[in-house]
Amino acid sequence: MGDTFDPDLIHSIFKLVWKRSAREEDTPVIDVEVDVGTSKKNRPTTANSSALKVSCELLRIFVIEAVQRAAIIAEAEGIEKIEPTHLERILPQLLLDF
Amino acid sequence: MEKDDGDREIEKEEEDLEMAELLKDRFRLSVITIAESEAKKQSMEVSETVVACIADLAFKLTEQLAKDVEMFSQHAGRKSVNMEDVILSAHRNAHLMTLLRSFSHELKGKEPQSERKRKKYSKKDDKSLQT
Repeated sequence: MGDTFDPDLIHSIFKLVWKRSAREEDTPVIDVEVDVGTSKKNRPTTANSSALKVSCELLRIFVIEAVQRAAIIAEAEGIEKIEPTHLERILPQLLLDF
Repeated sequence: MEKDDGDREIEKEEEDLEMAELLKDRFRLSVITIAESEAKKQSMEVSETVVACIADLAFKLTEQLAKDVEMFSQHAGRKSVNMEDVILSAHRNAHLMTLLRSFSHELKGKEPQSERKRKKYSKKDDKSLQT
């Protein structure tokens, strides 16, 4: 398969996002109910290893699709290098597809 | 006390920001490797700006994916994210979903299936021996 993302790296990014969202949720909650449900709510979300591998695959497909689609446009223009204008052309559909 | 808590919160957030930058850089490196090897396959060159843009987009996608997948697992009453949650996050794109599903089957097939197969074979062998 060649190059892909490191599942540990993706896991750390996930954890960072979850920590951030947990803190945003927590601050107003603490004032209202101090001891109710803290043990349950504070338990952070985790991800199992196969879920991370599938996430890596999803991101890999995203990057590859971006390059391939931009390459098609560049080729149609007869240019050997993918320039920002080529990316701009494919960007709307790419973002709709992911 | 409250001030201390506030300071600690700010410190934590600063740490997180540093961490985020570090992760972002590592992520960018992976994107560069993937994008450049893919471009080489197409016998194309990619400008640095394009790769940087793609890296930024992919990072935002990762953050969005993290949020989605957390919500899906919570909706299912779980605290742990599994493969189905990730596949579900691609539900708008049927083709992508099929790709991820077959990838997940490959993953599943790598380890446990070999055991299952062995078990099945052994059972069959037993039956054949019995008959």
